[in-house]
Amino acid sequence: MRGLPVAAALIVVALCAVPLVVHDEYFLHLFIVSGVFVIAVLGLDLIVGYVGQLSLAHAAFFAMGAYTSALLFVRLKWSMWAGLPAAALLVGLIALVLGSVILRTRGHRFIIITVVFAELMKLVATNWVDMTRGFMGLPGLAVPPLWIPGIGTIDITAKSHFYYVVLFAAIVAFLLCRALVRSSVGHKFVLVRENEPLAESLGISAFRYSMIAFVVGAALAAAAGSLYAHYVGFVSPDLFNFSYVTIMLIMVILGGKGTLVGPALGAVIFTFLPELLREASHWRMIVFATILIVATLFMPKGIIFPLITHLVPRNWRLRNARAA
Amino acid sequence: MSATITILAQHLLNGVLIGCAYALIAMGLTMIFGVMNIANFAHGEFYMLGGFVAFYLVSLMGLDYFAALPLAVAIVVALAIVLQHSIFRRLREAPMMTTTLVTIGLSILLENAALLLWGPQPQSIPTPFPTKPLSFFGVYTTPLYLFCMAVTAALIVVGHVLIRRTRMGKAMRATFQNKESAALVGIRIDRIYAYAFAFGAALAAAAGAVLGGFIPVEPATGGIITLKAFVVVILGGMGSFVGAIVGGLLLGLAEALGAGYMPTGWKDAIGFFAVILVLLFRPEGLFKRV
Repeated sequence: MRGLPVAAALIVVALCAVPLVVHDEYFLHLFIVSGVFVIAVLGLDLIVGYVGQLSLAHAAFFAMGAYTSALLFVRLKWSMWAGLPAAALLVGLIALVLGSVILRTRGHRFIIITVVFAELMKLVATNWVDMTRGFMGLPGLAVPPLWIPGIGTIDITAKSHFYYVVLFAAIVAFLLCRALVRSSVGHKFVLVRENEPLAESLGISAFRYSMIAFVVGAALAAAAGSLYAHYVGFVSPDLFNFSYVTIMLIMVILGGKGTLVGPALGAVIFTFLPELLREASHWRMIVFATILIVATLFMPKGIIFPLITHLVPRNWRLRNARAA
Repeated sequence: MSATITILAQHLLNGVLIGCAYALIAMGLTMIFGVMNIANFAHGEFYMLGGFVAFYLVSLMGLDYFAALPLAVAIVVALAIVLQHSIFRRLREAPMMTTTLVTIGLSILLENAALLLWGPQPQSIPTPFPTKPLSFFGVYTTPLYLFCMAVTAALIVVGHVLIRRTRMGKAMRATFQNKESAALVGIRIDRIYAYAFAFGAALAAAAGAVLGGFIPVEPATGGIITLKAFVVVILGGMGSFVGAIVGGLLLGLAEALGAGYMPTGWKDAIGFFAVILVLLFRPEGLFKRV
């Protein structure tokens, strides 16, 4: 138990040292992208892993966050520092409205409606040409300078600088989700997942707690989308492609749903892995799909999280087991 | 005045074929959903494979068009049986999250396998029909279009009769309504699973093979078709065959009118909006169960 904070501190120090060690721009790029995915996937784990609702709208929330931030930048000259919270807030509100309709239904209907919603949003991004420029997308998004009290304004457009912004955001997102799932709200998430009739009989509204996870998850996805848009400098309707939600689900499922740590690591691994498989790009999705099928059928707890719990000393395992 | 009516008739005629195809695909999807309790996200891939296999047989192997269509359906059904035995059998009694994730994985697998085999370009099946348009009171159509419409409509009737009038259809409906009771009266549930899955795949593949001469197929088609079929199933009421048929035709007609009278690009949104409205005001669908 006492080792855990030390280990966490070591991991943070190691992550901070990445730009000092990794000078290759391309690898640094992968680290930044995986940080963005960590934030989005933590949100998905709240919905899929903790309250146990399979939402296929998560990548759409990511894309909507990216678009909101991009539109605020292009049309109203809002910088990312204003655009990111605005995107999280707006998409969170949209999730609240959407959730109030669809979280009343359960089961297959819920899953199908989330994918219908995602497709509808793609149509809006593609066809509302006056606003979104359609297929042409919105180019020219910039990373704003960062003002830190006592130090002054620094330029963070360099990858080695922007990395720290993403790392900071990912750590904040992780701590936020961890606090949430360890609170009484988080325990109710798990109860709703494990036994909804029991939860309802205790006066715990499955609707309300599913809604909390859904809205917080959507806001995190939107924040990640905003970071991604400004980092890449370009948004287009391709962001709504179904492959994004598939890859996020693979990260959560193989990482070990309902564990936060597992999906976060899954996000890093499954950002790097496709790049390593680039030579065989045609086979990449086939490999991924096979992994998804096999893992879902035979390894319902995922791969990454069970692997860590095997590797770390036993006295930590207890705590993790309880957290999960 | 009469010009507007002619145009309207033209749009409606354009919608009938796609509506029949939606109906065929949704019938199979609703059957698999009802019997196996699986929302099959890979269902549209059978449509796509039906089209591609027919294209392969006609274009690349030089087979006769009318022989290629049933053969393509048979090949896709064979594949469906393999998938049923290797994967779907394991999904019996599995949690919804598992079944959905597996069928999503399968959909990506089949789409990318098709991409690898046939490439990303849309392919049209060459047909022996003359391309000269026919005109009825100013409404234009082609012999191919009439043929496709006749085949899909006939298949809907055949499917409906199979479900309504045969012993197997009766057993499927019984399983649909209550699995335990069906098993108690001696219905072999595992066999019903296999038949329901093959039946659904056959209808979708037939729709794909027939429409492939008219609307080019590409590997990405499957995903869109799955989504449309789900829209129809929710509109018609999950588990209602009549709902699937009527819902499919309605969606086809509505999209054709949308394509005619709305700005381009928005016709696909019609079904999606309709689903959200139905969910708000009539969650059980426009038609009740079976």
